[in-house]
Parts: sequence; structure tokens; C-alpha cells
Amino acid sequence: MKILDFSQSYFDLFEQPLRFEIDLKQIHENQQNLQTKFHPDRFVNASAEEKRLSVQQASWVNEAYQTLVNPVKRAHYMLEVSGQDMKNESETTSDVAFLMEQIALREQMEEVRDKQEPLEECDILVKHLKLRSKEMSDDFTSTFELGDFETAKLVSRKMQFVQRLSDQVMDLQFQLEDENS
Amino acid sequence: MALLQISEPGQSSAPHQHRLSAGIDLGTTNSLVSTVRSGKAETLPDEYGNVLLPSIVYMGNELRLVGQEAQKFQAEDPLNTLSSIKRLMGRGIKDLSQLGNVLPYEFVRDENQIVPRIKTAIGEISAVEVSARILEKLALRAEKTLGGKLEGVVITVPAYFDDAQRQATRDAATLAGLNVYRLLNEPTAAAVAYGLDQQHDGVIAVYDLGGGTFDISILRLNKGIFEVLATGGDSALGGDDIDHAVGEWILEHAHFEQIDAVLSRRVLIAARAAKEALTTQNTTELSVNYADQTWQGSLTIEQFNLIAEPIIKKTLTPCRRVLRDANIDIDQIAQVVMVGGSTRVLLVPQMVEGFFKRKPMTDLDPDQVVAIGAAIQADVLSGNKPDSEMLLLDVLPLSLGIETMGGLSEKIISRNTPIPAAKAQEFTTFKNGQTSMSVHVIQGERELVSDCRSLARFELCGFPPMVAGAARIRVTYQVDADGLMTVSAEELTSGVTANIVVKPSYGLTDTEIESMLRASMDFAQEDIDLRMLKEQQVEAKRVIEALDAALASDGPSLLDEFEINEVLLHRNELEQQIESTTTDGLKKLIKAVEVASESYVAKRMNSSVVKALAGKKIDEVNF
Repeated sequence: MKILDFSQSYFDLFEQPLRFEIDLKQIHENQQNLQTKFHPDRFVNASAEEKRLSVQQASWVNEAYQTLVNPVKRAHYMLEVSGQDMKNESETTSDVAFLMEQIALREQMEEVRDKQEPLEECDILVKHLKLRSKEMSDDFTSTFELGDFETAKLVSRKMQFVQRLSDQVMDLQFQLEDENS
Repeated sequence: MALLQISEPGQSSAPHQHRLSAGIDLGTTNSLVSTVRSGKAETLPDEYGNVLLPSIVYMGNELRLVGQEAQKFQAEDPLNTLSSIKRLMGRGIKDLSQLGNVLPYEFVRDENQIVPRIKTAIGEISAVEVSARILEKLALRAEKTLGGKLEGVVITVPAYFDDAQRQATRDAATLAGLNVYRLLNEPTAAAVAYGLDQQHDGVIAVYDLGGGTFDISILRLNKGIFEVLATGGDSALGGDDIDHAVGEWILEHAHFEQIDAVLSRRVLIAARAAKEALTTQNTTELSVNYADQTWQGSLTIEQFNLIAEPIIKKTLTPCRRVLRDANIDIDQIAQVVMVGGSTRVLLVPQMVEGFFKRKPMTDLDPDQVVAIGAAIQADVLSGNKPDSEMLLLDVLPLSLGIETMGGLSEKIISRNTPIPAAKAQEFTTFKNGQTSMSVHVIQGERELVSDCRSLARFELCGFPPMVAGAARIRVTYQVDADGLMTVSAEELTSGVTANIVVKPSYGLTDTEIESMLRASMDFAQEDIDLRMLKEQQVEAKRVIEALDAALASDGPSLLDEFEINEVLLHRNELEQQIESTTTDGLKKLIKAVEVASESYVAKRMNSSVVKALAGKKIDEVNF
């Protein structure tokens, strides 16, 4: 069986340039090609050793895929493979204006339930967060390409904040929809 | 007797290397076995033509019966007739109260036991062992039909089964002596059966309502690859709940004075019959008789729908969640596939259509579609189809996490992550000289550990003593393609591999499985004897068929009347004794037929050589 080079980056594994903007369609296709080669279903009658290797390799391909398709994980990983220490990366930001904005958005989310049209309020929030996340992606792309990793790190932290808030709003939206039905 | 099967010249005489495999749907209510023969997947019937084997084991009157035979005892001896046992798979004694009055059995009350054992007239038995008996029966059916031993099987499980439930299913297969190629999620199996049938690419939703479980999966099909985008459900919701709701309706109207296990079971049987009747008619008559208590009544489809609606409605929340998890809008769904016997309840497809705004597909028998998909997968995995492009990419149904300070859960691998998956985590010590630590692994989405399923507690020990915070222990969680988890640990600064002592929270330990295997040896010897007899019977039938076919084609031209009679004499004796004699007896009779037809075989050989040479120039003949 072919053995994957675990030292290569996820971008190399999927034959993609180290860029924030990705070709989702191509990555998805490569993911399926890789799994066709390494998935344990291809090694059902193989030796125990080959089975074990297949589980490890297929897991690694899945992990790589999950990292590349998720913007926050992708940004984090790009900094990591660029030699930045991401292990001790704190999950806080000292950008006061950004924090104030986050607090305001959070309050807005918490008040959704008291509004006349809570689902529409949720929609407005989701749209706003999508816009902010697009802006940050653009920020990350430009700072990373300039090699300004320190700023890129700050942006990646903010992306994390926005992502978490979006998830929570979407959870709330789901609960509201479920209660309404 | 191989010589009687000489093939026509020019054709290969090498036996086709085909690994025998089967797909098994181990259901709450019924179980099935299916296999691929001549490129076509088919569900195998028993000798009476039934494809469904009721998932029921009877343990009373010094009898152990499985399936239809066991079902007969359900009304008169409910405590020893074990049904809906799938609900107990991977469950602990503490879970029994949550299952409510669904299962009427008497459980062994033993503080030291984690896995519930049911008391029966002929001994105690666990859910895993009951399931093993059902698997054995199905495997025997397949081996009888195929005339050989199964190399491997694919067993389906509800997609929403957690690690403990999956492990219990694998343990049952081990007890049944089966080699499991893969545990396959039921909706994925159904998608395979439909997908290969329809040859459509696109996003499909599989709605699977069985007797005791509900699954909903969203898959994307692309050139033979089935990619599960998200899966959800409820592993304790199904058609049985409709039976119970109708049963309660009966009890409300019947005003019985005394209700015991037998009466409850009869009420349930009447409720199920009413549910089934109302799939084809608008109203049905019910009656319950027990001792001097009798009741008769009628139920209309409108009344029934009112009873069933709240239960079916419960399935729509997971549908909504799974769409969100898959990031798919309802209008992107190209097909909705219905699976599971409970989708026959007319209100189910109606409500599903209302939700997905699309008429669900019901082309394939909802009872058989899962087993058929499993058989197709088993055939591919056995290596019979090296060129097959089919590949199933499934996901983890429920998040895996560990317990952290304050009884909170921390997710390690989130739900709907493609499997196999692995995640490593680093821990350190918080005391000087600490040489062990314990990790509590849980499964579920909730914040509090107490709201999740406890899977196992791992004791990591044997790493060298160091000052607090200096040790770096890397714990790796690995989920395989069956959705089963294993854990390994290593102390990184010293390179010492920590020993892991696993205490499964609800599963059986290896020692327990071993002792069960030993306990079932008595039965196993019987089973082996029976299997050998069955194999010999199949062989005898094959010999007779081959001989008859040969005699019909060239018997009169190669043999005189006396010779034919001599061969037929032994053939007829074999046929007469096929069902009555022993394995050794059959072997002797088969041998006798072979000896009697030796000269015939030789003549056939010569004649086919002559035929092969006929009309050919000498240089075309290759010796």
C-alpha cells in the first residue's frame, strides 16, 4: 500500500497553494480521491498492520480536509505552517472597539426572544455576522500575503469570536424554528 | 463428485473464487439477511418463504427458540419471550428505568453487574446474547442457501447508535462466531440500495423509522461515492411507541380490573394489529381476551392519526437539525427515501412530505432495503468486485468528549465529523510525583457530563514521577470506520507508553465475553453438528442435481439400461435418506453414488474430448 507523507502540509496533501482563498470544489474532489485510496473499506482483507495504517491515513486525510474547509481552522493552520507559535495562542483580543461590538451583538442576540419577530431578528444578525466574517477573511488574506503574521494572528482571533457568535445565533434560530413548528 | 461437473471444452473449469458474504439487518422488531448472487442483491427467505425473522428469542420449557417459533409464545408466556431487545443493547442497569414499561421482563438485581441480565425459565441472558442467537439463526439461513461458510458479514446499526450500542452489536457478532467486515449505518445502507438502483447523483435524505429507532441522514451521491453530510435521530423512538400509545388508548376504553404482564402483552398485540390494519383500511375492529376479561372496540384512521401524530412529530426536530448540520436547504434535496416498517403507517409519509415538500420514494420494500444495501456493501468489501467504485464515507453520529473540572464536558471530536477520525490531546500532571491520572470519556452533545452517555473510564498509569506540570501526556482518541473508539496514551518527555485500564461503562469486558463464549460452547457443539449436517445435505442435493442434469443430457447415449439403473439405485437411496440420516450416513451414501457412476464419468470425459476435437484440424488442437 502507498504510504502518505505525514510531514507534508494539508495544503500539499490536497495539492493546493498556501492561500486563504480556496477552491472548495477541487478540494472536495481530491478528498474523495484520497479516501478512495486510503479508506479502511479498501483494506478489509488486508493484514492487521495495513488495516491500522489505513485507519491512521484516512483519519489524517479527514482531519486535513476538515481543517481546510473551515475558515477559522484554516487561518489558524496557515499561521502554524508558516512557523508561528499557535500552541500558546490566547483566545482573547485587546482590540477594544472590536470587543465593544461583540458585546453589543451578544446583547442583541440575548434580546431576540423578547422581540415581536424573533426569527427575523435572527436573520438580521446572521446576515450581519456573515458580512463581518467576509471582511475579516479579506483582512486575513491581505495581511497573510504581506507576511504580516502578527496582524494576521489578531485577525484570526477575531474570526474565532465571530464564528462562535454565528454558531450561537444559528443554534438560537434552530430552537426558535423548532418551537414554532 | 467434481468430475461430473466437467465443464464444456473451451470454458474455464477452475471454480470461481467467490467469497460468500451477507448483509444482516438486526432490527428491533424483525431481522433479515441478504446476499448478492449473480450480481443481484436479494433477501433470503427461510424454508417456509418468510424473509422477516422476528427478533424474538423464547427461553422457556427447556426450549430455546428464535424467530417465528419464539413469537408463538409471546401471548401466553411474555416473560420468557424476549422481544425488542435491541433497545437494551449497550444499555446499563441504570438506563432500564428510562425505558419505562416498554420491556416487561424481570431483571437480575445485582449491584456488581453493569450489563442488565434478564431472568428466564431456563437461565439468565443479556441483550448481547439474545442478539447473538438471532445473528446465528440468520447466518445459518444464509449458509444453508449459499451452501458454504460465510467469510464475512456487514451488520447494520441505527446511525444514531452510540459507541456502547455499536460495541454491543460487535460483541453479539463475536458470540455468534461471525467475522464482521463492517458495522454499517442503516440509512447509509438504504441509500446504497436506492442509489445503485437509481443511478442518480445529488443530495438525498433518508428517513428511517424502525420499530424502536429513528434515523435521519443527509447524503451526497457522486459517481459511486456515498458521502454522509450529517446524521441525526433518536435511538429510542419508533413504531413500538405508536403501539404503546394505541395500547394506552385501549386500556382507557377497556377499563380492565387487573392488569398483569400477559394482559399487557395481549393489549400490545391487539394495538399492533390495529396499527397494521389501518395501513390498508379506514377502520378496524379490536378485541382483547384474557381469562374472564374481554373487550371489543373499533378504531378509525382519524382517531389513530390523532394518537400517532405526536410521536411522528417528534421525528421532525432531528430532520430540521440534520439539515442545518449538513448546511443544506430543503429545496436542495433531490430525493427523500423511506426506510423501516414503521413508514407504512400512512401518516408517516404524509408528514414527511409536508416537511420536505417532496413526495418520498417508497419503490423498495421498506423492510428489506437496509439488508439489501448491507449485502451490496458486504459483496464489495469481500473483494468480489475489485473494480467497484463504490465507497461509503460516513460520519460520527454523536460528539465524543471527556469530563473536565466541575462535571462539564469538553468535546474532542464533534458530531458529523467524517470517520475514521483521530484527535490527540495533551495533559499534564497537577501534583508532584503523580504517576497516574484518569480520563472519563463521554458521548453526547450536552454541556453537563451527567446529561451525556458515559462510555468508559481510563486509568492512565505507569508514567515516571516528575514535578507537577512537567509531564506531558498525549492521549489519542481514534474512531474507526465502524464508529468505534479506542484510546492510547504516551508520556512525551520520557516516551513511556502509559498503560490504559479500560472500564467500559455499559459494555461487556473481554473476560465477560470470554465466559459467555465458553458458556455457549455446549450450544455451539450442537450448532456445529447441525451445521455440518446441513452442509452435507446441501452437498447431497448438489450431487443429485448434477447427476440428473448429466443423465438427462447424455445418459441414454453413453450408458445401457442396466448401467443407468445401477446409478439410479444409489441416487434414489441418497435422495430418500437426505433428511433422515446423519452426517456420516450422508457421506457414505454420496460416496456410493460416486463409485457407482465412476465409469459413466469416464465415458463423459471421453465423449467431451471427442466433441472438443470434432471438426477441428489437428494444428488447432492445443494439448
